[in-house]
Amino acid sequence: MHEYAITESIIEIVLSEAAQAGAGCVDEIRVVIGELSSFSDSSIEFYFEELSRGTTAEGARLVFEKIEASAECCACGYGFRPRSAFYACPECGSRLFELKQGQEMYVDSIEVK
Amino acid sequence: MKIEVKKNILARNDTAAAENRERLARQGVCMINLMASPGAGKTSVIMKVIENLPDRYAMAVIEGDIASEIDSLAIEALNIPALQINTGGSCHLTALMISSALDHLDLDSLDLVIVENVGNLVCPAEFDLGETGRVMIASITEGHDKPHKYPTIFREVDAILVNKTDLLPYCDFDMASFRQVVEELNPDGAVIELSCKDGCGTDDWCGWIETAINGSKTRLSS
Repeated sequence: MHEYAITESIIEIVLSEAAQAGAGCVDEIRVVIGELSSFSDSSIEFYFEELSRGTTAEGARLVFEKIEASAECCACGYGFRPRSAFYACPECGSRLFELKQGQEMYVDSIEVK
Repeated sequence: MKIEVKKNILARNDTAAAENRERLARQGVCMINLMASPGAGKTSVIMKVIENLPDRYAMAVIEGDIASEIDSLAIEALNIPALQINTGGSCHLTALMISSALDHLDLDSLDLVIVENVGNLVCPAEFDLGETGRVMIASITEGHDKPHKYPTIFREVDAILVNKTDLLPYCDFDMASFRQVVEELNPDGAVIELSCKDGCGTDDWCGWIETAINGSKTRLSS
């Protein structure tokens, strides 16, 4: 459900960039999502269709690029890929780790004409 | 034509949150973002603070709900300023909503603002409001497995209230197992057992709030 607000933000960013470039139509929107951010691609697509209607972003293709998570264990320093926020270090079993990557959420680029 | 954008989707919320945080810090006001599932006891937990916080502290409440003014009317009945935000379907409060609400409060005369977020364990954890502290409630009837299912929120809060402890004899809630998992996820988080029904734990909860208020004042004077 929180994808509604996320999709509104995506459209706001895209429309502002497109207007600055004087573009009449947005063909593609590339969105980067860290694998641990709790946003669903399909929900964003669902809301996008509705929220972009009547704007220059209507009909644009949404392309999602996932970024793998990476973390460093606070106990033993081991670097690993946590698959969820409830993940233990595979080396020492500690659940305390510092996320280095995996919670990103940004509009990477757009294709306009 | 390709345009490089590289813009954080939550940037607008994060900017508004930083502005809220600065505004509160300037006035030495402590703002607590209270999050929990529907029915965990958010409003009751706030009522406990209203009833027990020493009179020298002035507080206000911002109520977030999808619809209705039931909660804000209940708070106002206790002569505490209460603002109702109806999100109209949105499952969480945003920093911009809080910013507008703060405009309607006399921050000069306040020590504490408690924000009751929309009942939900997922979305509110993703949106920074500019709060001073984050508190969540896990109630006994929800079961002890919730930290396994919603680890993000358990990781990110400063305190976890375990509410409805009066129901422990009637539920299969394993407190030791719950505490162990929470400790693993969030070793710095305070775990406070509480019953809004019989009042057990009220002193601990209100003591935590008082420490948070004084923390905001100390930061202001330093």
